[in-house]
Amino acid sequence: MKSIRRQLTRELLGATFALLSIGLLALYFAARDAAYDQFDDALRAKALAISTLTIRTPSGVELDFSNRFFRGFDDRKPRDFFELWDENDRPITRSESVRRANDLPRRTGKLDRPARWNLELPNDRAGRAIGFVFKPKASGLRDRPNREVQLVVASDREELDETLWQLLGISVGCGVLLLGGTLWIIPRVLRRGLEPINALGEQVMLVDADSLATRFSSEQMPSELQPVARRLNDLLGRLEQSFERERRFSADLAHELRTPLAELRSMAECALKWPQTRDPETADRETLAVAKHMEAIVTHILALARGEQGQLVVKREAIEIESLVQTTWQQYVTRAAERNLSVRLSLEPVTAFADAALLRSILFNLFDNAVSHATAGGEIAIVLENCPTGASLKVTNPTDDLEPDDVPKLFERFWRKESARSGGHHVGLGLSLARSLADAMQWTLTATRHEERTLTFTLTAPAT
Amino acid sequence: MRILVVEDSPRLQRTLGTALRNSGYAVDLAGDGEEGLWLAQAHDYDVIVLDIMLPKRDGLSLLGELRHRGDDVHVLLLTARDTVADRVQGLRLGADDYLIKPFALDELLARVAALCRRSYGTKQSRFIIQDLEIDILARTVKRADQPIELTAREYLLIEYLAHRRGQIVTRTEIENHIYDGQVEPMSNVVDSAICGLRKKLSVASDAPLIHTRRGLGYVLGEAAAIR
Repeated sequence: MKSIRRQLTRELLGATFALLSIGLLALYFAARDAAYDQFDDALRAKALAISTLTIRTPSGVELDFSNRFFRGFDDRKPRDFFELWDENDRPITRSESVRRANDLPRRTGKLDRPARWNLELPNDRAGRAIGFVFKPKASGLRDRPNREVQLVVASDREELDETLWQLLGISVGCGVLLLGGTLWIIPRVLRRGLEPINALGEQVMLVDADSLATRFSSEQMPSELQPVARRLNDLLGRLEQSFERERRFSADLAHELRTPLAELRSMAECALKWPQTRDPETADRETLAVAKHMEAIVTHILALARGEQGQLVVKREAIEIESLVQTTWQQYVTRAAERNLSVRLSLEPVTAFADAALLRSILFNLFDNAVSHATAGGEIAIVLENCPTGASLKVTNPTDDLEPDDVPKLFERFWRKESARSGGHHVGLGLSLARSLADAMQWTLTATRHEERTLTFTLTAPAT
Repeated sequence: MRILVVEDSPRLQRTLGTALRNSGYAVDLAGDGEEGLWLAQAHDYDVIVLDIMLPKRDGLSLLGELRHRGDDVHVLLLTARDTVADRVQGLRLGADDYLIKPFALDELLARVAALCRRSYGTKQSRFIIQDLEIDILARTVKRADQPIELTAREYLLIEYLAHRRGQIVTRTEIENHIYDGQVEPMSNVVDSAICGLRKKLSVASDAPLIHTRRGLGYVLGEAAAIR
């Protein structure tokens, strides 16, 4: 499994190692070059001194050299060496230190750009040399040409090499120490730096279906993690809501089914225990009523579930809404009359795209609600209009017991105003079903309560 | 034993009423929380069977109100909600027992009977007073080992007197516990019921069991002390 910490540790250590190595090597080589330059400058100074002492006379090239000034060139403890050749590569003279051995190797450059190289000295020690050609000072040559001579000066460089080795040793030592320090520091720094991610991970691991109320406090988190925490909080919020909705729904469903079951069971047990108290006619009618009530609950629940799971097949066709409203309302005329409700129908001819079966189902639920819950003796108004925003149907009825707080609950599943609760065939699902059907057709269904204690349901078709 | 049933489903109200009356209880019925509270305050019930989801005032609020007023009547909550939270809330508010719908009628009757016994501080299911033996579970009465046939109301009367044996029980207390709202108690209804009961009890033995304390009421068995 990929780990941010391991990957960062690996890459940081690699990068640090490379940078340290390059840096220390560069430092070493720069120091070495500087030391060689200094060494070469000293060599050049000696070479220049020798060249100024070199004079060409008619009898040949002479060097007025004295070991008194150049103690390194004697043969007792030789440190410096030189050799001078004429234009025909014949050795003219050389230092005492060379004398005992063979010639120095000869390599020459110009006076201003002498050749420089490392070599093995005649006394078998490591050395460094410079060589160049120059014209010696002339003395009494008259017309004879003053030819160039070749000079090589060398010095023992073992002390310099030793210093350079020491420098290299110190550099490598420092490098190893720094690398060790880095090895120790980086994993710790990373662990500390990544602590908030680990903490968030551990908190997330603890969240399950039972702890959806958990929220991550994004204020204490580093800014990089804050969007993550906020997003997680949003998701948890939504999950919690939908869990809560499901939980409430199944609790409500259980509740709604338990009451009719309890009725059936106690009716049957009572009749078995005390047969003389059983009135066959009422008992059968009651059993049928309970069965119908349970059937209504189950039918509504199934329809709702299909609607919410998007399983409804919506057919769209042009429908003459006013005639559909007319025919649907016909089925409620008798029940409206029983409750002394007057009806005002005001229907404009409206054609809209809808699914006839779903629309009829919505109308049934709206009319059933109005007829059942309108204040007895009141007026139900059903108004169908053509609006620029789409056709709208308004069903208004007077309501005595509905409070403003109740309006948002009207579409909740199983919600009923208390007095209507056990009123028989109402299961408290009609309006939520109507809304879910309207949603499926992309129509909208809203409820508004007016000051004069009336309630209006507005069903709006989308503008075509 | 007088029981109040507060339940909004008319069918359950009816069957509970039938079952409890047939089991020898006096039963009052209420269909919503307000009516239930009013009845609970107006009468001295032995047990209240209380639904939680009620119109006007829910069962828990009714229970809270009763307890707030210091009424320690035994309450059996009856509800379709079955979550632990619901049950705990009901018991915390002072309910004595809890039954979830749908329930077995026998279980409800047994729990109501148990709560009635607790009303009189006894867990016994049998009373023996001199040669009188009352089996509360079987609802049978024997005197000198001879079974005595009683009507439901007569049984209710003897069981109530047995629960309070040795104490003076006033006519009003008897009226309150034996007769429900369906019976309009006449002034002499208690006296004639006592008279009928004495007659049936005397068949097996002549020794008087129910004593009259003039101007006070009746005592079953020997009065511990007469104040």
